[in-house]
Amino acid sequence: MTVLGGIGFTAPWLLIALFALPILWLILRAVPPAPIRRRFPGVALLLGLNDDETVSDRTPWWLLLLRMLAVTAIILGLAGPVLNPEVDQAEGSGPLLIVLDGTWAGAARWSQQSEAIEAQLTRAGRAGRTVGFIVLARPDVPVFQSADVWRTRLAGFTPAPWQPALADIDKAVEIITALPAFDTLWFSDGLAFEGRDAALGALQRRGAVEVYQTAANVLAITPAVYEDSVIKLSVSRATPGLEREVTLQAEGRDPAGNARILASVPATFGQGEVIANAELALPSEIRARITGFVISGQRSAGAITVVDDGLRRREVALIGGRNDRESLQLLSPLHYIEQALAPTADLIDGSLTDVLPANPDVIVLADIATLSDAESGPLMEWIEQGGMLVRFAGPRIAASDISRIEEDPLMPVRLRAGGRSVGGAMSWGEPKSLAPFKDTSPFFGLTIPNDVVVSAQVVAQPDPTLAGRVIAALSDGTPLVTRKTSGQGQIVLFHVTATAEWSTLPLSGLFVEMLERLAISSAASSPDAGDLAGTTWTPLRVMDGYGVLSDAGNLPGVAGPDLINAAAGPQMQPGIYGSGDRRLARNVFGVDDTLTPVTWPSDIPVRGLAVAPEQPIAGWLLSLSILLLLADVVASLALSGRLLSRSNAAAAVLLALPLLGQPSQGQAQNAADIFALEATNEVSLAHVVTGNAQVDEIAQAGLVGLSDTLFFRTSIEPAPPTSVDLEIDELAFFPILYWPVTSDQPRPSSEAYSKLNEYLRSGGLIVFDTRDADIARFGASSPNGRKLKELAAPLDIPPLEPLPGDHVLTRTFYLLQDFPGRHNSRDVWVEASPPDVERIEGMPFRNLNDGVTPVIIGGNDWAAAWAVRRDGAPLLPVGRGYSGERQRELANRFGVNLVMHVLTGNYKSDQVHVPALLDRLGQ
Amino acid sequence: MTNPKSLRDYVPASLRADAEHEAARLPDLLARAEHLAGAVLLGAHGRRRAGMGDDFWQYRPAQMGDSRRAIDHRRSAMGDQEFVREREWQIAQSVMLWVDQGASMRFASDTNLPQKADRARLLGLALSILLLRGGERVGLTGTTLPPRRGNPQVLRLAEMFCQDDEVDYSPPEHRAMIPHARAVFISDFMGDLASVQLALTKAADRGVRGVLYHVLDPSEEAFPFTGRTIFESVGGTLSHETLKANDLKGRYLERLAERKAELQRLCALTGWQYGLHHTDTSAQSALLWLYGALDARAGVAA
Repeated sequence: MTVLGGIGFTAPWLLIALFALPILWLILRAVPPAPIRRRFPGVALLLGLNDDETVSDRTPWWLLLLRMLAVTAIILGLAGPVLNPEVDQAEGSGPLLIVLDGTWAGAARWSQQSEAIEAQLTRAGRAGRTVGFIVLARPDVPVFQSADVWRTRLAGFTPAPWQPALADIDKAVEIITALPAFDTLWFSDGLAFEGRDAALGALQRRGAVEVYQTAANVLAITPAVYEDSVIKLSVSRATPGLEREVTLQAEGRDPAGNARILASVPATFGQGEVIANAELALPSEIRARITGFVISGQRSAGAITVVDDGLRRREVALIGGRNDRESLQLLSPLHYIEQALAPTADLIDGSLTDVLPANPDVIVLADIATLSDAESGPLMEWIEQGGMLVRFAGPRIAASDISRIEEDPLMPVRLRAGGRSVGGAMSWGEPKSLAPFKDTSPFFGLTIPNDVVVSAQVVAQPDPTLAGRVIAALSDGTPLVTRKTSGQGQIVLFHVTATAEWSTLPLSGLFVEMLERLAISSAASSPDAGDLAGTTWTPLRVMDGYGVLSDAGNLPGVAGPDLINAAAGPQMQPGIYGSGDRRLARNVFGVDDTLTPVTWPSDIPVRGLAVAPEQPIAGWLLSLSILLLLADVVASLALSGRLLSRSNAAAAVLLALPLLGQPSQGQAQNAADIFALEATNEVSLAHVVTGNAQVDEIAQAGLVGLSDTLFFRTSIEPAPPTSVDLEIDELAFFPILYWPVTSDQPRPSSEAYSKLNEYLRSGGLIVFDTRDADIARFGASSPNGRKLKELAAPLDIPPLEPLPGDHVLTRTFYLLQDFPGRHNSRDVWVEASPPDVERIEGMPFRNLNDGVTPVIIGGNDWAAAWAVRRDGAPLLPVGRGYSGERQRELANRFGVNLVMHVLTGNYKSDQVHVPALLDRLGQ
Repeated sequence: MTNPKSLRDYVPASLRADAEHEAARLPDLLARAEHLAGAVLLGAHGRRRAGMGDDFWQYRPAQMGDSRRAIDHRRSAMGDQEFVREREWQIAQSVMLWVDQGASMRFASDTNLPQKADRARLLGLALSILLLRGGERVGLTGTTLPPRRGNPQVLRLAEMFCQDDEVDYSPPEHRAMIPHARAVFISDFMGDLASVQLALTKAADRGVRGVLYHVLDPSEEAFPFTGRTIFESVGGTLSHETLKANDLKGRYLERLAERKAELQRLCALTGWQYGLHHTDTSAQSALLWLYGALDARAGVAA
């Protein structure tokens, strides 16, 4: 490759052709554009007129320049110019180890890094070096292979959503030490981690180390916190720098369930600061739908934080018993529940029928025994769909017969009559305390304060199913809280009141914790390790290094405290974990984490990732030459006067269209426009294309014949008839559509039907012709008649009746009694006249409906009677002899009446009234 | 006519085919001309006084000097008085047409426009139909088709109009003009003006008056040409080359205006009327103008 002025040429000898340019200049200059020949009768007037100035018949200089530039571009393009030619560098020898951090911090620039690695692999391949890879986030013994093999496998490397742990580094050092000597290229993600120096030391002992590291800053977002009615977000960057604004986006699902950006908020790093904060205030409806926050434009696991139940506030409907007395607020059955839930849940008040449509997460019924059918039905439905009903006992439930003999569907257990009271003044025994929670209970792990005692309760009836439904019991074994599932939802019964009357439970912290475990309320702040002791969490969705969540598959569960404390790693992948109904998010970047930039010893060369690849520009030059030649075509045409003449305009447009890049749209638009113009220039009759060539031909010929008849006999001078394809063509331009029915024609699509209905509603007329003279007797329908019924079923057609004798069709132009076509059947059906129209005494006809009947149905094969050959002679025979010709004449007259009816409406109906009206006025 | 054959060549089969081919052009022109003429209502015709004619006008008592043969015996038998049956005075005017059949007329600048010849023939034939309906005698100038009455003359005229002339610019036919008749010349008048002048002065000598109808294509008025061009006449006999056609526009239009002015001057001198028509405008209005011009002059003459 020869390099000239920063541009390399693969075939420099071709540049000699540039010396031929001056010769070409001389040749081209002598050849002017050819003249155009034109027929013009006015030439007689032109004879003797000479051109004013003698325009030199040589090519103008600018056209020459254009052509020269085009030729130059071709020559340069063929010479194979290359931008940024790679100047040969000193290649190393021996094996090469490429070390990758392979963490999420590099995910945002992973493709850039891959390109840089590929460039290095190319160099190594050229030097014949073997290459091995080691990824610190997932260390493994490297395999030294040829660079070309690695190049194909480069796409297999993906960033891990964690930083290398100390154990990983130790393993890597061990591996490195065991290898023979090699040189190292370390692609760093820019973040410091423990043990990096140890690894560097190990590498330096084996050979030279060179580091590639991007100059871009690493960004990470901490988990969102909901405090003081706003969502607080904070973003960190690794190195302080200039002022910079990033956009944080809240991702979630819209009401339709599609993922979208719900809100975005800017956060600004001040000059020299590494943390930027932002606050986002959102209505709870939207807040509940948020699935995570991302830093816009950053594609890495650190730049996304997923959200668990922490942001979500459950909607709880509280329904208490009827307050039949002016009671103190502390005695309100809902007071303690309200206090317990208010900080962490959205409470809804109202009657049961009012709150059900709001679809709350939980409904609490405090001491409500009976529900009406109108309430229990929808309530049951709501539970089946995943609602949670929490009931508290009380005097009313104890006094009622609910769930006594049969288990009530809205109660988890059967109850004994009356309940019991222990430790009162009139009873033996002491108030009972709670038994420790069993490990099958959702309350397992909660500590029971000593001061929680129960003095009265409703008692569950022993049942085979009872044992499985108890989730909390008293020390003597009687159930305190029972639960059953119903559909996707569940029903929970506290056998005590929600007030402090029957027990001290509502006064204790345990009550709040129990509600939390039941997922009635959600934790206000993130739980700490102690809260999660004894729980096991299953990964539901885990993140990859790019921050994309995917199904966790069958990854093992993790212990609750690990979820909070343990560092992320292959065993503790970031993502969403679930335990029962609760969800916890484990993010890559925690609240207290910071980003520390890596500092390399001064003896290690550090390079950027940016690679300026070789760029062949031959294609650009050749394209330029083609553009110049096109411009030359246009200019030459303009010079010789052929550009703007009308016949060439189309060609010029065609030439220009590919340049614009939208030929198909332009042509399609054009075709539709031409169709519209042709259809609207003159009145044009139209028939529906049935697909049966013979029928279509006859319909077309029939409309030609009818058009001729109209042209010669009336003031209607229609344009040649049009064949209409229901699927493609616009119908609105045609006053009348003739639709011959064949038994085998395809059903129009639903779009076509909506077009037809639109056409009928806006005043169009469709003439259905079954062509079998039989249709009108709807009962004994022919194949065509059946097809007609099928075709017309989706159409918006009013009630029909056989054409009455005083219908305006009988007198719009000719006076007619029969409407024959090739057949002569009397029955033709039109829109039924209104039932209340009576014939007025002395009038020849009724005053019938306004407007034009939207359909005419008949079977007389009119088109065949109208049809004419090209020379105007009838196409098909009608009847026999003179009577046949008479029938054809009547068919033509019917056609004239038909078109007149369409175009003039009921005008004729009014006109014939005039003498009668005058007559009556005279009397 | 495009492919003339000697009589020997006509075998019956091809004779019929050729005849049909030739006849096929007639109905089209005829139908369009009939249609065009149908839009004009005839009025203000007939002389409304007694004279030579076919239609009954009135009975009047016989006077001295009336021929005995003139007495209408059917009317006279109803009483004692003798009546003479008078007929309406109907004069038939002879109108002679000359429609330019030259090659220069077979030109249309756009496929959407009719050729000049087409328009000229249509107007000529429609005018003939109107005049024949009005009872005039219509024919061609020259000796090929002298003026005659009646519908068959329409067919003969249509046939004559379907003949093309190969000459580029054909001069007006001015032979065998009937004295004091009317004449209608329809042409683009692109040829030699001297022949037009000769025809007009000759007509004026014989007391023939009429209409000079100038039919032009819009491109002949606009001259929308640019660039290096060789202009050729339709027949191919004349050609003119220019390097910059747009430079010629001004001078061409000047010459055209001169030509129109000259035609108008000739008309003024000889008592003819001059009309200008472009093929992109409606044939209907042209026909109305032609008919009106002819009718008005006829009224003056009568």
